[in-house]
Amino acid sequence: MLPNKAQAARRLFLQRLGVFSAATALPALLSSTVDAQSSTKGVSSAQRWGLLIDTSKCASGCDACVRGCHEEHGINSTGNEHTDAQWIRKIDLQNNLSGQKSSLPMMCQHCESAPCVDVCPTGASFKRADGIVLVNKHTCIGCRYCVMACPYKARSFIHEPISDQKSWAPRGQGTVESCTLCVHRIDAEKDQQPACAVACTDEAHSAILFGDLNDPDSDIVKAMANQPASQVRSDLQLNTGVRYVKL
Amino acid sequence: MHPISPIRLLQCLLLLLGLTLGWMSVAGERGPVIPKGKGDRCVADTDFMRRNHMDLIVHQRDETVIRGIRDEPFSLVECVDCHAQRDANNEPIRVDAEGQFCASCHTFVAAKIDCFGCHAAVPDGEDQERADGGHWLPNKQLAAFRPHKAAPLKSSVRSTVSSDHDELSSDASE
Ligand code: HEC
Ligand code: HEC
Ligand code: HEC
Repeated sequence: MLPNKAQAARRLFLQRLGVFSAATALPALLSSTVDAQSSTKGVSSAQRWGLLIDTSKCASGCDACVRGCHEEHGINSTGNEHTDAQWIRKIDLQNNLSGQKSSLPMMCQHCESAPCVDVCPTGASFKRADGIVLVNKHTCIGCRYCVMACPYKARSFIHEPISDQKSWAPRGQGTVESCTLCVHRIDAEKDQQPACAVACTDEAHSAILFGDLNDPDSDIVKAMANQPASQVRSDLQLNTGVRYVKL
Repeated sequence: MHPISPIRLLQCLLLLLGLTLGWMSVAGERGPVIPKGKGDRCVADTDFMRRNHMDLIVHQRDETVIRGIRDEPFSLVECVDCHAQRDANNEPIRVDAEGQFCASCHTFVAAKIDCFGCHAAVPDGEDQERADGGHWLPNKQLAAFRPHKAAPLKSSVRSTVSSDHDELSSDASE
């Protein structure tokens, strides 16, 4: 127990801190209600984009999300399978005790404390204000520290020259890439979904839900309130933006 | 008084001839042949674009990649949309191919860019209608983009990234 005087001083300090943070939070709250589009104003930390993946709806053997993603970004096999870019992959799990099986897509988890950001020597691996973790390929020197630092093996290095890129998805030799949560789609238009989520819905699985983790009224937050959602490797305390249900 | 020797005279004449020919050959090569863009104007004054396009698009790329600001006048996709030529079969030609728009001047001044190692050098699918000339940046706004007045790009990149990081991590520690 603290002596009474120190306790009082501490309480006063905390009170003031509360008033101060309420005052600073207010404008942010007001602006967050305006719109979700960043196209003209730029991204803001009022949003934090994320995914909720329901593994019970994810079918083993189905790779619609992988195809959807790779088609969207013009990712084709170079013929060297072991070095092909892979922004999203399917993983099958089995509980050895019960034999229970599940299947899930694995991609960049858009960590709040992203190890790939910490290790990048140029600042090219960075987190946008809205929580999306990206590679700025203009400043990426291809050192691949981030590839090694990522606990989810979510990043790929481009070994070979690339041609016929999509105009919205520039990609090239000598840089690292990974899931961008389809920034080009979600920045451009309100209510746009990442390509993987669209592909999953088109396949009638709807296992991937995209939304704003900071918005208590969003479908994703409501879905997370109804059922336990976990982080892969939660022991690392990275506070991932991608969460899994029934993992 | 020295009488001018015929040899000297001949030397002088040859020198003059050489200089004239040299000057003519330089003057004959007036500069690169630049294919014309689509529509009747660029996204800003042509003069301004000639001098400042490199700073404009590099500024734009940081705005887009780091701050998520899109659909602005200096998007590289738009440059390609308007400046890619078409061949006899109406197929688009890469803007960085020999003699094409982005290569024309650059070859002349020996500038080399790597942008189209990643960025599409031909427009995508549907040809967008740009009867209104697309985006247009009024002259009075161009001042903001003058390279000398703009903040150094490198440092602005750094500060954006690190401040974002602080912002988000302080949220978490509450
Ligand atoms: C190693 C690959 C790579 C290289 C090389 C590269 N870019 Fe990019 N560029 C990207 C990626 C990836 C994006 C992000 C696209 C997005 O988020 O929509 C991008 C986005 C941009 C944008 C914003 C989007 C647009 O089209 O307006 C601009 C402008 C841009 N780059 C300009 C350049 C310029 C100028 C160069 C050459 C000096 C260049 N880039 C070289 C990969 C590259
Ligand atoms: C709406 C179509 C359009 C777009 C978009 C566009 N341009 Fe242009 N651009 C033109 C036209 C038309 C001209 C020629 C104007 C003239 O003759 O005065 C031109 C001229 C230029 C010139 C001067 C060429 C010369 O002949 O000296 C440069 C440099 C240039 N553009 C660069 C760019 C860049 C870089 C971008 C992308 C940021 C871009 N343009 C986007 C249509 C466009
Ligand atoms: C009117 C002539 C002209 C045209 C057309 C032109 N450029 Fe340039 N560009 C130049 C010159 C000259 C330089 C070199 C300036 C310098 O060295 O300071 C340059 C430099 C650049 C740079 C910076 C290169 C570096 O190493 O820093 C980029 C990027 C660039 N141009 C992009 C483009 C793109 C993209 C296009 C086609 C859409 C284009 N330019 C069309 C004249 C032109």
